[in-house]
Amino acid sequence: MNYHAYYPIDVVNGPGTRCTLFVSGCEHRCRGCYNAATWNPHNGLPFTPQLEERILQDLADTDIPRQGLSLSGGDPLYPANLSAVFSLVKRVKQELPDKDIWCWTGYRLGQLTKQQQRVLSFIDVLIDGPFVEPLKDPRLVWRGSQNQRVVPIAAWLAANHRVDTQSIG
Amino acid sequence: MPEHVIKRDGQTIPFNIHRIETAIVKAMGSVQCHQTHLLPLLCTDIERELSGHQPCDIDTIQQVVEAALIRHRLVDVARSYIAYRRTRDIERERRSKLNDDIVGLISRRNSALLNENANKDSYVIPTQRDLLAGIVARHIAKTQLLPQDVVQAHEHGDIHYHDLDYAPFFPMFNCMLVDLEGMLTQGFRMGNAEIEPPKSITTAAHVTAQIIAQVASHIYGGTTIDRIDEILAPYVTASFHKHLTTAEQWNIADVNAYAMQQTERECFDAFQALEYEVNTLHTSNGQTPFVTFGFGLGQGWQERLIQKAILKVRLAGLGRNRKTAVFPKLVLAIKEGLNRSTNDPNYDIKQLALQCASQRMYPDILNYDQVVLATGSFKTPMGCRSFLDNRQQNSEHPHAGRNNLGVVSINLPRIALLAEQDSARFFALLHQRLALCFSALMSRVDRLKGVKARVAPILYMEGACGIRLKADDDIFQLFHDGRATVSLGYIGLHETANALFGREPHIYDCEHKQRFAIAVVETLKQATDQWRQKTDLGFSLYSTPSESLCARFCELDTKEFGVIPGVTDKGYYTNSFHLDVEKKVTPYDKILFEKPYPRIASGGFICYGEFPNLQHNLKALEDVWDFSYRHVPYYGTNTPIDECFRCGFQGEFNCTAKGFCCPACANHDPQSISVTRRVCGYLGAPNARPFNAGKQEEVKRRVKHLATPL
Repeated sequence: MNYHAYYPIDVVNGPGTRCTLFVSGCEHRCRGCYNAATWNPHNGLPFTPQLEERILQDLADTDIPRQGLSLSGGDPLYPANLSAVFSLVKRVKQELPDKDIWCWTGYRLGQLTKQQQRVLSFIDVLIDGPFVEPLKDPRLVWRGSQNQRVVPIAAWLAANHRVDTQSIG
Repeated sequence: MPEHVIKRDGQTIPFNIHRIETAIVKAMGSVQCHQTHLLPLLCTDIERELSGHQPCDIDTIQQVVEAALIRHRLVDVARSYIAYRRTRDIERERRSKLNDDIVGLISRRNSALLNENANKDSYVIPTQRDLLAGIVARHIAKTQLLPQDVVQAHEHGDIHYHDLDYAPFFPMFNCMLVDLEGMLTQGFRMGNAEIEPPKSITTAAHVTAQIIAQVASHIYGGTTIDRIDEILAPYVTASFHKHLTTAEQWNIADVNAYAMQQTERECFDAFQALEYEVNTLHTSNGQTPFVTFGFGLGQGWQERLIQKAILKVRLAGLGRNRKTAVFPKLVLAIKEGLNRSTNDPNYDIKQLALQCASQRMYPDILNYDQVVLATGSFKTPMGCRSFLDNRQQNSEHPHAGRNNLGVVSINLPRIALLAEQDSARFFALLHQRLALCFSALMSRVDRLKGVKARVAPILYMEGACGIRLKADDDIFQLFHDGRATVSLGYIGLHETANALFGREPHIYDCEHKQRFAIAVVETLKQATDQWRQKTDLGFSLYSTPSESLCARFCELDTKEFGVIPGVTDKGYYTNSFHLDVEKKVTPYDKILFEKPYPRIASGGFICYGEFPNLQHNLKALEDVWDFSYRHVPYYGTNTPIDECFRCGFQGEFNCTAKGFCCPACANHDPQSISVTRRVCGYLGAPNARPFNAGKQEEVKRRVKHLATPL
């Protein structure tokens, strides 16, 4: 996986003070996308074990406490990104269980593949759906257009038994 | 014959009879008089007459010439000569700076004067009267009151003698902490009325507004009420008892609940009225008074009620559109064990304050422990950032009623440019300039000597300054022995380092430049310490906010040294020790960068961070506040709180050629938008009243301190 940018301190993408990773690679190509340079999966820099380490360290920082990790892009659930993203979110949840993970995707929550659903189980909040320019509204919080939703995953999973919990390793 | 002539501008030149002869010939020509043969006689006559005047001035010469012409029966020539002199006099008057400034004001030509202070609406008549008084006061101060070397250094831009439009022409001082407690508890006289101690929070708040209006008309800087929650708490109690009595009289079932509910409502209403009054006041200085309320340390239910009222009133906004109030500036004290952490008794107040700051920019915060570390004791700044020290620590009221006598700022980048990359030379020049600053500051102080209390009864006789003098008492006793501060200011530390060591690397990334910058501020501090010892005055080092100065110094230096990258190329100089507004760092990094300075420049400081809209992320704002608590004493958060009254958008407007423009609906009608930016320590509304060009440029270049990818 390539990444476009990493912000060790971010207050715009999700609640509290966060670490935010913008990954490369997105197939939605929404008109009016604010980050079109991230569509090409080969853009940006390779996501290395060193960067993963750095993110874990930043999240564990006590001097400037972080509430959690935000994954944006690009699309963190872009098929080619799934293995790297899966290992990152799994590690964060195992090593720093009190940090929350927010993830922005252009896919619809009800239409995720099995592979994408594996990632979902480590995510606290998913903002889903493509950016639809005619529905753009700057007054919205955490999202750009009215069709997009901010979904707390635990509650959603409880209400929709779509994920076979046995299959999550 | 006289040897010298004193010209109108004060210059002395050698006497030359041919000049007079030429003038008479012209006068003869204009009335077709051909008696030029009389000229030698006339000249001898005039020379003899003038020999009694050594040296003589222009008026004497003119009178003697006129008399001589009339004696020789050249009445028409005399008339023409007089008319010619008169035309010249008017011409000369027109060319004079004073006249030019006055005409510039009336014709609205002088934009530097009109936009100098974003808090002054230069269209309205009382403000124009104030500006006119300012022009005259400045002129007379420069020509008659100040030492000429100080005037030259000011004109030339080596130093800046602040507030020349008020002092030294008027014996006024800068800013103060009003002894509101003393005035309310002991009563006072204002205008034709005797004011007794108030018996309710409504009256107390109203009287406070009256006091502010009076005080602000007698000083030129900010009016601060320190610990307003604690001072006004007894009047909340008084209101409660009043409502309790009513409840008992009317046999209300739960008297306490009734009285409490009524008191809460009254307290909110009282502070709302106070906020409206402050924002509608127009002092004799032609502006809304620069008012600051410090609050937050009170722990009783009355103080808490006031704290909540102040914040809720600010959140509610002013008027139909709920616009952000620009005044008073709100400064909340944060203290561990009181309101800082989750389990603290007043933690709810901090949460409310975070909400308020995210929507209304204020309050700024004073981190209790850091303020004590930097200045020796806790207090709210006078005006936006001027801090008292702890000299009166044994007094029962160590701060109330004390004040600042004014500021003279030093142009540091100029000295660095003159030093031509030589630090040793820089410090040598700096010491020369400091001697000049001392004499300039002493001229401020000396103007207040021998002044009687009757010039400002509210300050000196009715208690605002904490001590009540008799009408003919000398006011200076309130200022000496370090009771008042008098401040050396400085500007452009960033550009100073660039001028000496080159633009790259940036000071943020260069320890050498940082060490140098700290050494400069320490040198200034040592100077003020020495002046303290030499006099019995509270000299202090003040980090100048420089609303108009940021452009003035830079402009003058550009004229003298040209456009120098990293120094004069931006059109403004960076505020005091602040990090260059264009440098992209996190607010955390900025706090650490600025951390060393408040302790050195303990007479005046503030640190800021530029944030995106945080109305939906108060936790992030709280994280920064909490971090600042461990590092800097006084912290303000700048966040976009613009509002569109048409579509309801809240956030940051775009700065376009049409003016400020709503990003959601493109509305740019000044009547239906609210745009708020911080100019110096205070807020301003740049769509209603433009900033000066340098400040506008600086505001445009500010980067958000939360957009730095790795």
